[in-house]
Amino acid sequence: MANPFGDVVSMSVIRLPMLPGSEKIPWEATINGKLISKPIESNAILLDVLRDQVGTLGVKRGCDMGTCGCCSILVDGKPKLSCLVLAQEVSDCEITTVEGLADGHHLHPIQEMFGEYGGSQCGFCTPGFLVVISALLNENPSPNDSEIKNAIEGNLCRCTGYQQIVDSVRAASELLNSGQNINNSTEPKSNPNPGFDE
Amino acid sequence: MTKKEKKEMVGYRQQPGKISFSRPGSGGKSPFSEARDEEMIPESQGGKKEQPWGDHKHDKLITGRIVGKPTSLVDSKWKVTGRAKYGDDIRLPNELIGKIVRSPHHYARVLSIDLSKALELPGVVSIATGDDASNKFGVLPVTKDEHAMAVERVRHIGDLVACVAAEDEATALEAVRLINVEYEVLESIHDMKDGLKDSKDPIHDRGEYHIGEANVQKRVFQEFGNIESMQENAVVSHKNNWFFNGVNHAATEPHAVVADWDPSGRLTLYTPQQVPHYVHRALADVLEIPMHQINVHRTFVGGGFGGKSDPFPHEMCASILARKSGRPVRITFDREEVYWINRGRHPSHIEMNLHADKQGRLCGIETDALIDGGAFASFGHVTTYYNGVLHTAPYEIGAFHYTGARVWTNKPASGAMRGHGAVNSRCAVEVGIDDLSEKLQVDPISFRLANLLPPNSATITGFRVTSIGMRECLERVMKESGWKDKFRKMPLGHGIGIGCGFFISGSGLPIHWDPNKFPHATVHLKIDMDGGVTVHTGAADIGQGSDTVVAQSVAEVLGLPLDMIRIKSRETDTSPVDLGSYSSRVTFMNANAAISAAMKIREDLLNATSEITDAPVEKLVIGDRRIFRKDDPAVGVSYLEALHKAQEERGALVASGAYRTPPMGRAHKGAAAGLAPAYSFSAYVAEVKVDVETGQTKVEKVWAAHDCGKALNPLAVKGQIIGSCHMGMGQVLSEEMRYGRTGNLMNTDLLDYKIPSIHEMPEVTPIIVESNDPEGPFGAKEAGEGPLLPILPAVCNAVYDAIGVRSNELPITPDRLYRDIEKKCRELKIDDPTDLPSPRLEISELQDILEKRADQHSIRDRERRLKSDIKPYHNGALFGMDPTIPPDEVDESWRVTVIPSKEYLEKPRLAGSAWLHTERRKRGE
Repeated sequence: MANPFGDVVSMSVIRLPMLPGSEKIPWEATINGKLISKPIESNAILLDVLRDQVGTLGVKRGCDMGTCGCCSILVDGKPKLSCLVLAQEVSDCEITTVEGLADGHHLHPIQEMFGEYGGSQCGFCTPGFLVVISALLNENPSPNDSEIKNAIEGNLCRCTGYQQIVDSVRAASELLNSGQNINNSTEPKSNPNPGFDE
Repeated sequence: MTKKEKKEMVGYRQQPGKISFSRPGSGGKSPFSEARDEEMIPESQGGKKEQPWGDHKHDKLITGRIVGKPTSLVDSKWKVTGRAKYGDDIRLPNELIGKIVRSPHHYARVLSIDLSKALELPGVVSIATGDDASNKFGVLPVTKDEHAMAVERVRHIGDLVACVAAEDEATALEAVRLINVEYEVLESIHDMKDGLKDSKDPIHDRGEYHIGEANVQKRVFQEFGNIESMQENAVVSHKNNWFFNGVNHAATEPHAVVADWDPSGRLTLYTPQQVPHYVHRALADVLEIPMHQINVHRTFVGGGFGGKSDPFPHEMCASILARKSGRPVRITFDREEVYWINRGRHPSHIEMNLHADKQGRLCGIETDALIDGGAFASFGHVTTYYNGVLHTAPYEIGAFHYTGARVWTNKPASGAMRGHGAVNSRCAVEVGIDDLSEKLQVDPISFRLANLLPPNSATITGFRVTSIGMRECLERVMKESGWKDKFRKMPLGHGIGIGCGFFISGSGLPIHWDPNKFPHATVHLKIDMDGGVTVHTGAADIGQGSDTVVAQSVAEVLGLPLDMIRIKSRETDTSPVDLGSYSSRVTFMNANAAISAAMKIREDLLNATSEITDAPVEKLVIGDRRIFRKDDPAVGVSYLEALHKAQEERGALVASGAYRTPPMGRAHKGAAAGLAPAYSFSAYVAEVKVDVETGQTKVEKVWAAHDCGKALNPLAVKGQIIGSCHMGMGQVLSEEMRYGRTGNLMNTDLLDYKIPSIHEMPEVTPIIVESNDPEGPFGAKEAGEGPLLPILPAVCNAVYDAIGVRSNELPITPDRLYRDIEKKCRELKIDDPTDLPSPRLEISELQDILEKRADQHSIRDRERRLKSDIKPYHNGALFGMDPTIPPDEVDESWRVTVIPSKEYLEKPRLAGSAWLHTERRKRGE
């Protein structure tokens, strides 16, 4: 199909055909601590596999070209953009998505602090930020401001202006270093019997 | 009943004094509840919170626990665990994937669509075209001009032609490729100036209302005051021709929709929408089914900013495909499609003329705004007005002239975006005031402080302004930024600038003004015996925290902790009609409705307590899950006891509350545009660094003061202020929708459409100013859109302060700024840009006059905001008119005109030339 346009323009109508039926291959990976085996198409993108087959819908699709960071995940503890990774490349790897950050009902400190410090507004970019930050804190529990900024430079947020995200990271770092426990989120938030304390 | 018998009734009638099950949230038997934070209790209620703006009708409801405290969003745990479901996360069993066939031509007639090959492809389940839905829709009832898919013609590249539902995405994409559409290409229009001329084939036909044979969708002419005198009185004038490129919301979530017809024949549409109600209406029109047969389910919204507030054609497509196939259909946009649907800020040509007289008063504003609407009307009718009327405050103005026109071009439609219609012209005005001050040799902040409207006044266009914290905003940013030591004193390449903003807090007239005077917002409350409060509201939480604000309001009125409030705001089946999240209306209107509903329940609880304790209702107060005598806190009952008493004989407590704006404004044509029950004000100071050798601008610091009435949730307000800075910074420095030589949109992705990353973000110091609006919930006004306005002019003015060059095209990208630097160097005959002189200011005598006037006005304002029997104040008093009477009733030469005169039409400005055409119905054809 000839390009009918004056300028170079990419459009869904002139995409290359992507017929189904490309060869299926067996695929295995440990996702959030659970071994998953799926037959996948050999050219499958990891983001598609995670969302459509594994069901980890916390991994968000924002741009499909590695610009927004919403689809960030951890592969063997390192942040990766799942929209730029072929699923085949990470077979037999350990993958962590936002769903794998919490320990049961105990949230990861950065999850807890994101809520408290307003690091999350609409929340769509949040999963990407969280996994990237969790990797940062894992490697460097007391990052300084420029380390924080460098860690999240690949993630775009349209709501917060980043400032409150940086605040959350600082608070999470403090929380991590203080050794305090995060509350179980199923515990009652308000005292069921106010006035009965002490 | 004797006293003894009555005593036995305390607690549970069935088992006096005995409770056989635990009482969640009951408040127990303790006579005292949790201590109140006296710092948060207003002075009028005996607390320690100062009230420089006077007391408020909701003061007595303040418990000092919830409202006013930084509160994390009630849905934040869902978001941080990845469990929040956005549009594309709705996965229904047996779903089909929908894809859209889009036009490759700017403007063309659709001659035929051949579906045969696509239908033969295994896995394709259904295909729909424009023939399947011929009814028009549009967000404004007066300008319905969209179809689900092309009927007869396509109007921009990416316009919808057909859609396909298939078993999987690859099959759907292949089917899209196999659909063969034959087009007859028509002559397209890309320059908005061409839209003003007569055309062979106008993009839309408005029938008898069509303006000439041109592509003018809407034109506005407005004059207030004595226009002739303003130029006579002027000692200095400013004139600038601006061009603002279009920008896109670039919300991180691309649009997505899932449509599902259930076996009983009802449609459920899952969509990340800011305004579920308008989709609800549009679906009923397009699908020709009654509204009650449709349930619009708002998913989590991954950022709106106005970009998800129209009813969209893809929502219709999914519904049509689902109806045809009998299966759920999911359509998800890729990033490119987000730009095709657009609805971003209008590209605009704005001519701004400002005049100041020898006393340093703003004796006239003349604005001409030509805005590029793209292919559809969207909110454009309103945008055309907003470009004018929203920059007539917070200043007192001698006369105001506005001509505006919105034209159709063959581009993706422009629409509403954060700061709707006000952003570009506000930037032009504020930069103009900076220039006027420079010419008058006065400090621009002093100039502004000496020209502000007082509280409880009327603007030149007749808007009723209640609370106004503009003066405080200016004073705070001046102090905190160290303005006096920096302005016009920094070395070349370093600069500081000021900008102000004014925005509506909810639109005074709803878009669908039904004859029945429906309220703007309704909230239903239901409390069953578990004590938890279920709140039904249609307000769409798009990340701004509307669910949280509604929950806070209810919790505050009922004295309950936040986790006892459950917000149900997702489905039109269960939510009352709400006009949605746009024009910054949610906090003002919904929280007011929520308070009024909660007040009814509160009354029930107080009556029940009175019945149990024998205390008169007036003596009772609500504390933390406990209702007790104010004079003897030991006498009282728990919330649950009161609740169960109130529920006797009637079951669940149910209440409904509503909010409707009071009648306001003048009567001229277009008077309703820009009317709001309250207005927000803001002032920002930006400090920038400009590299004169490359034209690169970096914003280093921003001091951002915003008057939001009262911050119900300071955490969210600060988030809105900083987030607004981010978005405005993008528009002023890097973001633009770039159209190529032949009119193609060239940057439909986030790599070339440059939104600021963390490295571009300055350090923002948010400053909250609370002016305690008399009609706002607990005194609150908006904080979502207004904070965006001042950042653009603040940065523009700071760039001038840094290098003495004013750009008149946004964004100020390095190449554009360097072009201006080169021009300036040529003018000054300088070879090396590093030799450019830094702008300096020699203060004139006028400065003293302005400062004195500002001091007097400051006293006047304080009196006006505290006195209860204030006289009216109409714009014009500063110019010697009687403030208590509307100026047109005082002076004959002070006129309100909405039709251009013959003299004007002899020499119209750019957008004004739209008035050279005559409407068809007036041509007698």
